[in-house]
Amino acid sequence: MPIAQLAETEALSDSSKSKTFVFKDEGHTLGNALRCVISSYPDVQFCGYTVPHPAEAKMHFRIQMHKGKAVDALKRGLEDLVNVCDITLEKFENELQNL
Amino acid sequence: MAVFSEWSGLLYTNVHVGTPDVDEGFNIIKPTTPHECRLRDMTYSAPISVDIEYTRGSQRVAKTGLLIGRMPIMLRSSNCVLCNKSEYELAKMNECPLDPGGYFVVKGQEKVILIQEQLSKNRMIVEVAKFGVQCQVTSSTHEKKSRTNVFVKSNKYYMGHNTFTDPIPVSIVFKALNSQKRYVTAASKIKSPTDEARDLLATTVLAHVPVIDYNFRQKAIYLGLMVVKRVIEAQADKKFLDDRDYYGNKRLELAGSLISLMFEDVFKRFNWELKAIAEKTIPKIRATQFDVVKYMRSDLITNCLVFAISTGNWTIKRFRMERMGVTQVLSRLSYISALGMMTRVNSQFEKTRKVSGPRSLQPSQWGMLCPSDTPEGEACGLVKNLALMTHITTEVDDNPLIRLAINSGVQDINKVTSIYIHSPLAFMVFLNGNILGITKNYHMLIQVFRTMRRKGYISGYVSIYPSYLHKCVYISCDGGRLCRPYIIVENGQPLVTKQHIFELEKGIRGFEDFLNDGLIEFLDVNEENDSNIACYEKDIVYHTTHLEIATFTILGVCAGLVPYPHHNQSPEILTSVLWGNRLWKCGTIGYNQKNRMDTLLYNLVYPQAPMVKTKSIELTNFDKLPAGQNATIAVMSYSGYDIEDALIINKASIDRGFGRCLVYKNSKCVMKRYANQTFDRIQGPLIDTTNNQPVWKHSCLDNDGIVAPGELVENRQVLVNKSVPTVSAVPGSTNTSVEYKDTPISYRNNEPSYIEKVLISTNEEDTTLIKILLRQTRRPEIGDKFSSRHGQKGVIGLVVEQEDMPFNEYGICPDIIMNPHGYPSRMTVGKLIELLAGKAGLVEGKFHYGTAFGGSKVEDVSEELVKHGFNYQGKDFFYSGITGEPLEAYIYSGPVYYQKLKHMVQDKIHARGRGPRAVLTRQPTEGRSRDGGLRLGEMERDCLIGYGASMMLVERLMVSSDQCEVDVCNKCGRLGYCGWCNSCKSSGQVSSITMPYACKLLLTELQAMNITARLTLNHYCE
Amino acid sequence: MELNDEKPRVILNEYKVTQNLPTGPTILDEQFTIRNFKRKCRIVIVRNENFEMEFDWIGIHPFLANTFRRLMLSEVPSMAIDKVHIHNNTSIIQDEVLAHRLGLIPLKADPTLFEYKSDASAEGTEPDTLEFELKIKCSYNKETSKRDSSRAEDMYKNNNVYSKHIKWVPIGNQKERFKDSDVGPIEPDILIAKMRPGHELDLKLFAVKSCGKDHAKFSPVATAFYRLLPDIKIVREVEGDDAYRLQKCFSPGVIGVRQDKNGKKVAVVNNARYDTGSRNVYRYDDLKDAVVMSKIQDHFIFTIESVGAMQPADIFKEAVKLLRDKCASLLEELNSS
Repeated sequence: MPIAQLAETEALSDSSKSKTFVFKDEGHTLGNALRCVISSYPDVQFCGYTVPHPAEAKMHFRIQMHKGKAVDALKRGLEDLVNVCDITLEKFENELQNL
Repeated sequence: MAVFSEWSGLLYTNVHVGTPDVDEGFNIIKPTTPHECRLRDMTYSAPISVDIEYTRGSQRVAKTGLLIGRMPIMLRSSNCVLCNKSEYELAKMNECPLDPGGYFVVKGQEKVILIQEQLSKNRMIVEVAKFGVQCQVTSSTHEKKSRTNVFVKSNKYYMGHNTFTDPIPVSIVFKALNSQKRYVTAASKIKSPTDEARDLLATTVLAHVPVIDYNFRQKAIYLGLMVVKRVIEAQADKKFLDDRDYYGNKRLELAGSLISLMFEDVFKRFNWELKAIAEKTIPKIRATQFDVVKYMRSDLITNCLVFAISTGNWTIKRFRMERMGVTQVLSRLSYISALGMMTRVNSQFEKTRKVSGPRSLQPSQWGMLCPSDTPEGEACGLVKNLALMTHITTEVDDNPLIRLAINSGVQDINKVTSIYIHSPLAFMVFLNGNILGITKNYHMLIQVFRTMRRKGYISGYVSIYPSYLHKCVYISCDGGRLCRPYIIVENGQPLVTKQHIFELEKGIRGFEDFLNDGLIEFLDVNEENDSNIACYEKDIVYHTTHLEIATFTILGVCAGLVPYPHHNQSPEILTSVLWGNRLWKCGTIGYNQKNRMDTLLYNLVYPQAPMVKTKSIELTNFDKLPAGQNATIAVMSYSGYDIEDALIINKASIDRGFGRCLVYKNSKCVMKRYANQTFDRIQGPLIDTTNNQPVWKHSCLDNDGIVAPGELVENRQVLVNKSVPTVSAVPGSTNTSVEYKDTPISYRNNEPSYIEKVLISTNEEDTTLIKILLRQTRRPEIGDKFSSRHGQKGVIGLVVEQEDMPFNEYGICPDIIMNPHGYPSRMTVGKLIELLAGKAGLVEGKFHYGTAFGGSKVEDVSEELVKHGFNYQGKDFFYSGITGEPLEAYIYSGPVYYQKLKHMVQDKIHARGRGPRAVLTRQPTEGRSRDGGLRLGEMERDCLIGYGASMMLVERLMVSSDQCEVDVCNKCGRLGYCGWCNSCKSSGQVSSITMPYACKLLLTELQAMNITARLTLNHYCE
Repeated sequence: MELNDEKPRVILNEYKVTQNLPTGPTILDEQFTIRNFKRKCRIVIVRNENFEMEFDWIGIHPFLANTFRRLMLSEVPSMAIDKVHIHNNTSIIQDEVLAHRLGLIPLKADPTLFEYKSDASAEGTEPDTLEFELKIKCSYNKETSKRDSSRAEDMYKNNNVYSKHIKWVPIGNQKERFKDSDVGPIEPDILIAKMRPGHELDLKLFAVKSCGKDHAKFSPVATAFYRLLPDIKIVREVEGDDAYRLQKCFSPGVIGVRQDKNGKKVAVVNNARYDTGSRNVYRYDDLKDAVVMSKIQDHFIFTIESVGAMQPADIFKEAVKLLRDKCASLLEELNSS
């Protein structure tokens, strides 16, 4: 199981608005999902992710906000994904039962 | 057969070459198989025994079955044990039934005698030389080889000869030829100059023209013809010039004739030596009678033949012939590379000469030699390969031909008046370059010969053709002519009918039957030019004489593997032959590959037959011994790791076994016996006393001191714990304890290997031989090279997880993603069609054909795709594996046959921080095998100089290389040591500087030559 | 050709794929909210056979579909043979190749009941390892009835080693936890090696739990993928022979030919779902303009082909749980720091 370690690469102070998070042992699977969710939020100015080198199991995730903290957007995105999973699971189970 | 030796006391009445056997010592001789010889490093040879009659004392003695030497036997030849054996019998002998044979096993090595191409012997060649037009004849008989020229110099005709220092005017030669028969006066044994000249004319000049009883008439006519007919005609008209590169003027020398030349030479030497011994010993008075048989030793002939084949140096003293590189080691990288080697034709031309003539493609090569298969670089165009159906003739007895010619109205040249010779209607008839006679009705002559040949009354390989230019009819039955079969067409109808083909398919009829029934005949290059040959049945018109059997046979074995080559640019076929097919690929090499112990073997774990076959593939059995896999490729761009032909490969495919290969290497060791009764020994593993386990280096050894099969050996571990006796003990002295030095055979490779098997045997010298086969299994990694059959080679640029790969409507992910930039400049349309045909074959469940000039048509293939719900263009709708959204473009995808080439990163990866240095210069060693450094060469140095990075230069060229502290005396400028100047006998002005050791070495070396280099030192701040 | 309806589509043109978004907001460009998702997302199971399942997932963004596809391929764990102890192998197949082949055999074992092995080099224990044994020896068949046969099957015994020859060796109280029928290779007839008399295999096999990222053999699915729902519209009347020609351009059952009021045979779209997207209409210049082929971008037809160890539905559920756990653990980490 990948245990995520988050490191903030941005050295600039007063940068809680925009941040790059480094996800260890993650790739496109989480990166793309999070990106799609977070970039649709109205407060988010920019959101993108990259796998800097295919030989390294690392994913850089960048969030820039109009207002608010980047971490909060990330948290919200993760929460949304958790909820999505719960709903999907529920709907899928229902459907299986109805079969 | 009676072979007369020069020494009349000995008469050979019979020669016999037996079947291959091996002498196991103690007079035990048992038959052997090629595979045993391969494994035991022996020579696969058979005894040559002779029956002789000779004089012993005063009586005549006959002896039979006397061994005079051993003849290396070509595999699958008539004397080979493999000849005419069933598949089961071959399997019992550990031999692959698909192996073509045609090579020799000499000292355990498989050696091929390459086919040698040369100008035909005994034929006139008219060409423009230094002075002008010249006519050249290289005469060759069993005894002599000579070259005669007739040329024009300042409007006079001369004859030159390689034994003459100066050319002789032709008129003088004619006059000499007119001389009468010599009347031998018994008294004078010394030849007069006239006699000598006469003998020379009779035997050496134009040696192939027979002179019987000093009757020079035929030779005179021949010479006259050379001068008058050829040189003068060619002077007037350029069309009479011959072409040296024309294949009708070439002969190919096969292994058989080369070996027979060699044998003849060494056999003559053998007899000469016998004679020398006899002449030396017989006059002496001895108690025992002189018996020649005792002096007949078999090792001269054996060693000579073995040496010639194993080194490839063909020295024939008689003809002063010295050729290098006649044999080559059979390349066993893949089945096809071995097969391709057997068809290789080597030219006698010097490789360094920059001539275009012999290198360029000759129109007469058509159908005889493969137009695509030649190496790049210096041997380009000089080394060629036979086409699929080429046959090289062997010599046929010419007596029946002479009789037939005479019977068909040819008048003997010796019985015809000269007026008749020059009659405008008369055609001169040549047989193998010699004048046979004159005919008035050449048409009939040719007709008769061709009919007789088709009926099988004369050999099928005899060729006859008229030359309207020379007004000659040429008949040849000599060996080494290139020829190939054609279907005979008569009255606009091919003789082979549907019924015949039906019988062929049913197996009632074979190729031989077609020949015997006169439906098919062989034509050589010259006769081919006198025929009207249709490529296809639809092209037959009323004057057509022959029909091609199949058009794809214009290509050779290697080029035949390329599907749809007629859609590719010709240089691409060449590259594909070079890269994909001939060499350098992993695959299967034979059904017996698991029993072999080669020095290097690359095998694919899961080889597949190609989805798109060609007829050649079936004929060469490539589909039974394939060397590649059908990879599903998608032609699209993916990431940036696919530039410059790099491939993106699916990790899941690799996990499932794609491109996995086995690499076998062997390690060898012999246990020698020495003259002083000492011998090498092997000891068991060294046991560590603390834990009672073998030490790490010996941890793989069995109790006998040789590695155990199945064991994993790592770098520097010992394979055979061998030791060698040190000082040679005094012979005769017994019970002296011999001291031994350890000389272990250890494993050297950074990647560990498994021990596949261990072989312990003895070789021919009866010394123990230990062979160890090591195995590595390799999965493809970044940097491994792959190639399709179209010369599209590329390395793996990135290995991608399956989920990142694009997928189509059926959930199929490609195994390989190939960048489309590989196509436009190379124009390998054949690969595009291969993909399409492969895909159609996949959905239809059959193999498609991509045979040259034929194969499945794109239209039909498209129709099949449509039938199964695929896009007719082979382009599919794909989804991105990363975002999950549809790709904007349709992706061309399907199976393409990919081959793994033997260039793997694992064998090439190299880096060094610190490491070994050369002893002399103290500079880092060179090369990967010695863990060497990477050279900062002169161009790199120039860059640093240009950039002004002087400290960097010092660091690279001195500090990191061969830095050395040297004491220099400021007073005398010479080198000192330990702060002491030996020439000034003082330490006063000695200072220490650093310089490259190479520089110090130069200074001391100069000193050793009595040259002093004096150094003047300055402080660098001043 | 513009198609303005409420659904986002991709249009399959002759040479490229273009996107066609309706004027209103779609799932592709609107803000992501849980409420929206809950409202729009729909799952319809079409087929759920033994090892294969097809279901429609409607009203979601492609990233979600793709995320689960990816998770199923590479991160849902399963059991596979990972270590082979070779005590004896005298067959012609090399040890490494044999081990590789054994690894690729799908195993019957519920991975949820096992733990990941923490130390790869350690010896296997009850909760993380399944042990098997493969002991087989080839010999001549002494049966008198088949003495004359030259078929390998009749001449020899055990000349083919199949996956059914693999025997389970329970560790600890695995015997109580699992039934014999719960553990072992799924297919009994996977050919492992071919042997001849005298050849012998004596192997110990150790299966562990891991995921497809590690090696493809741990992937629980043969493949898992989705496709977008095809939609075909006939924009002008196609009649007579042309109608039949049009029918042939698509997969069977996609286009029907019906008699209209005037008695003309007219092509109609029957069911576009199973069209393979072959776009073969573009071969005919005269039919090109008669149809518009598109795919609906928020309607995914998922196909999960299980290798056999787990039910496809379970694999999907496992994938969803994986994403949930992953996000939850990340959230926890974020909140704790």
